[in-house]
Amino acid sequence: MVKFTAEELRAIMDKKNNIRNMSVIAHVDHGKSTLTDSLVAAAGIIAQEVAGDVRMTDTRADEAERGITIKSTGISLYYEMTDESLKSYKGERDGNQYLINLIDSPGHVDFSSEVTAALRITDGALVVVDCIEGVCVQTETVLRQALGERIRPVLTVNKMDRCFLELQVEGEEAYQTFSRVIENANVIMATYEDKLLGDVQVYPEKGTVAFSAGLHGWAFTLTNFAKMYASKFGVDETKMMERLWGENFFDPATKKWTTKNTGSATCKRGFVQFCYEPIKQIINTCMNDQKDKLWPMLQKLNVTMKSDEKELVGKALMKRVMQTWLPASTALLEMMIFHLPSPSKAQKYRVENLYEGPLDDIYATAIRNCDPEGPLMLYVSKMIPASDKGRFFAFGRVFSGKVATGMKVRIMGPNYVPGQKKDLYVKSVQRTVIWMGKKQESVEDVPCGNTVAMVGLDQFITKNATLTNEKEVDACPIRAMKFSVSPVVRVAVQCKVASDLPKLVEGLKRLAKSDPMVLCTIEESGEHIIAGAGELHLEICLKDLQEDFMGGAEIIVSPPVVSFRETVLEKSCRTVMSKSPNKHNRLYMEARPLEEGLPEAIDEGRIGPRDDPKVRSKILSEEFGWDKDLAKKIWCFGPETTGPNMVVDMCKGVQYLNEIKDSVVAGFQWASKEGALAEENMRGICFEVCDVVLHADAIHRGGGQVIPTARRVIYASQLTAKPRLLEPVYLVEIQAPENALGGIYGVLNQKRGHVFEEMQRPGTPLYNIKAYLPVIESFGFSSQLRAATSGQAFPQCVFDHWDMMGSDPLEAGSQAAQLVLDIRKRKGLKEQMTPLSEFEDKL
Amino acid sequence: MEPDIGTRYEIPRTAEFLRAGAYTRVALQFPDEMLKDAAAVARALRQELASGGGVRVFVMADTAYNSCCVDEVGASHIDAQCVVHYGHACMSPTSNLPAFFVFGKAPLDVHACACLMLECSRKSNKRILVLYGLEYAYALVDLRRTFEESCKSNSCNPEVQYADVLCSVMSPSSITTEENNCHLSSGTSCSGDLSINSDLAALNNRCGIECTSSTHKYSLGGVTWTVSVQEKMEDYLIFWIGQDNSAFANIVLTFNKCEIVRYDATENQLSTDVSHLMKVLRRRYYLVEKAKDASIIGILVGTLGVAGYLHIIKQMKELIKAAGKKSYTLVMGRPNSAKLANFPECEVFVYVSCAQTALLDSKDFLAPVITPFEAVLAFSRGREWTGEYLLDFKDLITSEKQEVASAAEEARFSFIKGAYVEDNRAQENMEQSETETSLALAEVTEKALSIQNQNNDAVLYQGRAMSSIDYLKARSYRGLTGEYEGPAPDSILVGRTGRAAGYSDEKTPSAQ
Repeated sequence: MVKFTAEELRAIMDKKNNIRNMSVIAHVDHGKSTLTDSLVAAAGIIAQEVAGDVRMTDTRADEAERGITIKSTGISLYYEMTDESLKSYKGERDGNQYLINLIDSPGHVDFSSEVTAALRITDGALVVVDCIEGVCVQTETVLRQALGERIRPVLTVNKMDRCFLELQVEGEEAYQTFSRVIENANVIMATYEDKLLGDVQVYPEKGTVAFSAGLHGWAFTLTNFAKMYASKFGVDETKMMERLWGENFFDPATKKWTTKNTGSATCKRGFVQFCYEPIKQIINTCMNDQKDKLWPMLQKLNVTMKSDEKELVGKALMKRVMQTWLPASTALLEMMIFHLPSPSKAQKYRVENLYEGPLDDIYATAIRNCDPEGPLMLYVSKMIPASDKGRFFAFGRVFSGKVATGMKVRIMGPNYVPGQKKDLYVKSVQRTVIWMGKKQESVEDVPCGNTVAMVGLDQFITKNATLTNEKEVDACPIRAMKFSVSPVVRVAVQCKVASDLPKLVEGLKRLAKSDPMVLCTIEESGEHIIAGAGELHLEICLKDLQEDFMGGAEIIVSPPVVSFRETVLEKSCRTVMSKSPNKHNRLYMEARPLEEGLPEAIDEGRIGPRDDPKVRSKILSEEFGWDKDLAKKIWCFGPETTGPNMVVDMCKGVQYLNEIKDSVVAGFQWASKEGALAEENMRGICFEVCDVVLHADAIHRGGGQVIPTARRVIYASQLTAKPRLLEPVYLVEIQAPENALGGIYGVLNQKRGHVFEEMQRPGTPLYNIKAYLPVIESFGFSSQLRAATSGQAFPQCVFDHWDMMGSDPLEAGSQAAQLVLDIRKRKGLKEQMTPLSEFEDKL
Repeated sequence: MEPDIGTRYEIPRTAEFLRAGAYTRVALQFPDEMLKDAAAVARALRQELASGGGVRVFVMADTAYNSCCVDEVGASHIDAQCVVHYGHACMSPTSNLPAFFVFGKAPLDVHACACLMLECSRKSNKRILVLYGLEYAYALVDLRRTFEESCKSNSCNPEVQYADVLCSVMSPSSITTEENNCHLSSGTSCSGDLSINSDLAALNNRCGIECTSSTHKYSLGGVTWTVSVQEKMEDYLIFWIGQDNSAFANIVLTFNKCEIVRYDATENQLSTDVSHLMKVLRRRYYLVEKAKDASIIGILVGTLGVAGYLHIIKQMKELIKAAGKKSYTLVMGRPNSAKLANFPECEVFVYVSCAQTALLDSKDFLAPVITPFEAVLAFSRGREWTGEYLLDFKDLITSEKQEVASAAEEARFSFIKGAYVEDNRAQENMEQSETETSLALAEVTEKALSIQNQNNDAVLYQGRAMSSIDYLKARSYRGLTGEYEGPAPDSILVGRTGRAAGYSDEKTPSAQ
């Protein structure tokens, strides 16, 4: 641990070339937190006065209990490089002192939103992969997300100790396993070729891959060994590093390097010969307590042990020896400092991803240059509960300028639109705070390139916001984060005692702040809804709500509810017509399903209401086979003007049509939000306006006549186009040994799931199973799976797609009809669907 | 037929009232379902009054708003001196004309009802309060006697309180008393929030009605009862005799914490299930949350008779203005989907009407319709929904201004959006506090103009427009602009002829 005063720490923050902001990302249980702990133990910055009684990763009780990380935590590390180790460093630097702001993020998929929030404010990522389990679904998800944000990754192959102790893997086999892990990661990274970011793949021979044993606190990169051997072989370090990986073999008998295994018994791969085996030897010697052999070996390696450490035996001795020889902090921190970008370097290319406004204005320039004298641009990525009940720190990253205590800032919320006043506040920062271990220290100001926590803004920021100086009225906000998971599981909560309602309202407000993903809303029926990514996420949210945010007031939680979507299977069987209330206007419409992939494209924002019509028609005609002219006739998207449904004008030569466009659009927004089946959102429906007959007198074709009519005709066309329900489906990934497979299949079958991939992990007895599972069936899935496999299978579920339900909801007694009935009951609607005849009129 | 009409429509009593007031022009107001008897009643009344002579009787029907209120505007068209109101009444006080109410008599099986009441009282340890639809008021004496008899025979003595009919004659001069009365009554039913309780004693003295400081007088939907100060309404079991109609909804929503049993006289059975009304209450809660997000509000005038409606409209306007929102007052008779959709810029409507028509299920409307009480909840900052509910806007008319909650520091959290959404009021205040107010204003206007082009889609703009001018600017079609390129039309075309149901140029199957 490094003892610092706030002033000392603050001084390093000015050296923007010597800062590394990075997050630790991985699949659940691959050892992120353990690895982080060992880094913190060595290099964590703590306040001078509290040194001694600090536990850095002192986290929530439930985290310890479940053994998983739930909230991401930020820690600052300090590391001083030696001149020697820096001699090959090409980038700009400012002395040898480095500040590393590290964010440990959760690995469970339900909390990936925490990862997203962490990635936004960091420039590099340490990807931790279990050397045995390899690249798993969550590794892939977070890696993709990191690359999408232009975060440069480095990799560490973790849990090396398992190879040596638990599995006793031989050198060559271990090498194959490791290289497969690295290759798998590289496959994902290779898809993100990016000119500005450069090659993001990782190579052990370039020092961007580390090998670590988080639990035992040791790690190495090939640099460590290359240094050791370079002089011995009389080659330079880079050359040596290349020899230590890949198809390079060494035969000690002939003392020759070859690029192929010569077949001689003594010929071994460089990595095995010079890295793996020495470690293995040391470990074995320690474990077997052969101290007489050990000391000379250590001496050769220049490892000196303290006398009391020499007394240790077995595992403890091994741990100590390895930590002294190959300290994890040195290897990993040097790797980060060498290969991850500093803020000033990273912001040059990240500005495009970050800034919403024009890339040539002063704000973009200031971000690009990481200019501490420029206008303030700060992104608040999450809110952290303060010890002060009900208050929160706004935690974020300064991209340009400085944020100071007492400064008046302009807060642009997620709904802010430049030039308008919605979701815009001007408030002053009461205090700027940095963390030193668990202790918060107030500082005068924090310059760009650093993470910061602010007091006094929590009553204006829900989850995230962009902050600028008060006077910078023309600054655009920093782009909103894109989450890889969506809140598909919902519960309704109500208080046991009606008069606790204000407490519940307050509690929900706080809950909404405390988690980057959770959604606290109210449904039309008046029920308060909490929506989360999965069962576990909700469970944690509900616990927080009741215990921390509502002061223990009792709440009633409904069973989990899943929201559905309404779509159509075919084109309407006929053109339907509805008359306006005054019978003077008629709208003719047809519904048809949107082309496959189009709703997703709209979801992703590739196609949307604000597109350039030319670009839009190009995508539509080239990818989805639309007629070029038709693509220009899209009236609107919906619901909420951006949803995956649209209205297209197919009329020819209708008088006054321009007048009713607004009204039809309004009716469509309304109808697409509440479909005809169960008032769920519509998805993937294209409504074609076929013909319109309007009254000649403008007064008789006003909004009052057209809006309700448009809604009716949209419902009628939906009902005539074989309406169907879409249900959300999870992608489930399960890892389990072979004997558990039977149980897994059993549970999946019972839950309407289906397996689409089963693969044995090479070199392990473990199987990897990928399956689709309807979200509605996923409640209790985890526990059932554990029961059926005696705890050997652990699923990760992430929302994947909407799946059409085969049965016809209009056919009484079908499964879909039953579902519609249930939804209608829950929403307090009339149990019977409104029949088509109510919506369709006859001439 | 004739004698039946006489008793059912209380012809003699009505005649007596008319004679006593020496009214010569009388309006008879019928609800739709009684309209078929209108002629007979008018005839009978004329006959009965023949001795007095010179009394002219007019039949009124199809009221502009709701038939439960006295249609004073309609009556004044014929210069009526008083109104005789038939059928279900909400007993909202009138503002100009005296009114005489004939509730009608719905059949009630007194014995069955008394039995069920007794059963009820055995099950519950609460005291019973009997409330009823006004159409059953005639049978109350019978019921009370029967119930007491059956109590005696069963040798038990449950505590039962009966509500009284407020009056069957209403004169506008009694408004002040009425108002204070109602005022007081509901003031007690809601907690201190409305800060009326402090006025209680003063009011008691002033109006001099028979409630001393030891009782609270309640009146709702034409019936009235008192409860001693030590007790709360929650201590009573409400026994309602009547249909599941708007009057019952009014009771349930107002006393939503009480246990309520309904005796259905036509089915002759008890029902304790009021969950559908509780659902209504929860939905209203949602509507309040939704209204908080609105920035343009339409005030719908739903009555032209109920005393104090002008006052409440004024109060609503002030409330909305104070919240930094824009209001428009609309008079459109009974609202329906088509009428309201003519004002797509309004994001919520406040419906000012009598208590029993105030709850409008706005499911089929483009924008939700809320009551004035809900508007108060939604538009005054810092107000929280604690479960109390008022339907009668009279209870909202408070002499003192709704104090604007001391500008809460926190931004407003919208549960529709699930995030903080600032009200514009706070922003404006903030701006005003700046020294260069005028400059700031000019700046804003300039901004609004430059932004307008980006949002040439009215729907995209919804929720951000601050006034209907804003909204209009954002529409793709803004009506005839008057900016024509060439002043002369190209050619004159012959338009369609025929009826809208099928123009003559259209060959439709129905036309053949």
